[in-house]
Amino acid sequence: MMVKTFYLVLSILIATCLVILQETMSNLFWLVSVDMPISIGIFLSTYLDNLMSMNLAGAIPLIVLVAIGFLIAYSVAKIILIWIKVSRSYAYALAGGVAILAIVLLMPLAFYNLDILAGGRSILGKSILTFFGLISGYYFGASLDKQRAT
Amino acid sequence: MINKINIILLSLFTSWFANANSTDYKYLTLAENLSHPWGIAVIDKDNILFTELSGQLRIIENGVLNPEPIKGIPEVLFAGQGGLSGIILDPEYDSNNTIYLSFSSPDEGKKTNTLEVIRAKLSSGSIEQVETIFKASPSRRTAAHYGAKMAFLDDGTLLITSGDGFNYRESAQYLDNHYGKIIRINSDGSIPKDNPFLENKDARPEIWSYGHRNLQGIVVVDGIVYENEHGPMGGDELNIAEPSKNYGWPAITYGKDYSGATISPFTEKEGMEQPIKYWVPSIAPSGMTYYTGTLFPEWTNSLFISALVPGDVRRLEVSGNIVSEEEILFNDLGRIRDVASSPDGSIILAIDGQNGKLIRVTSR
Repeated sequence: MMVKTFYLVLSILIATCLVILQETMSNLFWLVSVDMPISIGIFLSTYLDNLMSMNLAGAIPLIVLVAIGFLIAYSVAKIILIWIKVSRSYAYALAGGVAILAIVLLMPLAFYNLDILAGGRSILGKSILTFFGLISGYYFGASLDKQRAT
Repeated sequence: MINKINIILLSLFTSWFANANSTDYKYLTLAENLSHPWGIAVIDKDNILFTELSGQLRIIENGVLNPEPIKGIPEVLFAGQGGLSGIILDPEYDSNNTIYLSFSSPDEGKKTNTLEVIRAKLSSGSIEQVETIFKASPSRRTAAHYGAKMAFLDDGTLLITSGDGFNYRESAQYLDNHYGKIIRINSDGSIPKDNPFLENKDARPEIWSYGHRNLQGIVVVDGIVYENEHGPMGGDELNIAEPSKNYGWPAITYGKDYSGATISPFTEKEGMEQPIKYWVPSIAPSGMTYYTGTLFPEWTNSLFISALVPGDVRRLEVSGNIVSEEEILFNDLGRIRDVASSPDGSIILAIDGQNGKLIRVTSR
């Protein structure tokens, strides 16, 4: 149980860090396009600042949103796995992707079509965020498989 | 013992001196149970027009609120921050009864909407000869950040603030759209021949300045255009707006996104204008007026900016681009949506909310 919880927390942390990476890159890429001087140093300091402020200073702490999304999605995946024999890695990967996509799609419904995660405004942004959800979910499922094998 | 007496006397004197200098005013409720009062246009001291965001144009006649809204208002999109918003009188209102209204206008099918400005004549109980003189383009899917305030320049042209639509913030830096711009048109909707981007084929000809976010107050004082705008989380600004200038949003900003993310790590760049004042944390500046009255002589020639958070009015002493003093006033009324000066020297406030009010601040 302890180990499963550890994997769960780690997958939430991975997803949160990746979503923040996408948000940071989305904002900074646009700034580069209008000739703002973005260096590696500025990128790193902005990313580190975002890691703190998006979890501690934003309107809604991102890690809490991701945790809620993943807990619901993983629970549904676990129930589905009782009946459908499919690799856990793929099932949880799908759950992670759906969780992040749901966050990106549902948040605007609560805020008059406003995209609070600016990186998720475009289709490309939504796709990247969903992919990051898949990666985090895959990590969780693969870790459970590995634990079972040992 | 003598020292103690001196201290007591000194504190009493200081307290008396502070009270003697503090402005003595009182509130008079002009109207209540209003539906999100938004914009105010003072005709004279006893006659005041104002908008309610939910779509009504109302009038206080001879000091009393007419219970019937003025008829003839076009359909507005009342959602989010959208609705019937700004109002301004024509500079020749006394002779032509012409007013200008801004609002969020739903497109056909209502999936998108845009900022629209109309011109109309006010007759008894209704508006007539309604003409659309500006429609922001492209339309938006969001119901936020319309700007929607107006001011006349001394040459009779009309400035309209057009917000960035929230989701379209980067568009504020490009001239092919109306997001995050100050628009300048003639009062009939035509484009002035000296607009700054007329020669630029890629630019919308109505654009006067750009790089703005959500401009909620604009006044012209001796030819100087002051505008205030909401920043994101922090970074509300007071700017002196000038033609063709770029005010930087979102490439430079003193605020952060609501998610906590850094929108830009930069606060300045060559070719982008700096605010003459900014607020971190946000005060959510809304309306703005320049007070020239003498009812409160100590406030004469001050800029008044109403603020939604936490709810007060900021009195600023401004000389050119220097803000020398900021005083917080009327912080016991709630969210203040607009502020206007009355010819008798009193100040009119619109208190936001479902049960909003119109308040007159006058001397005791």
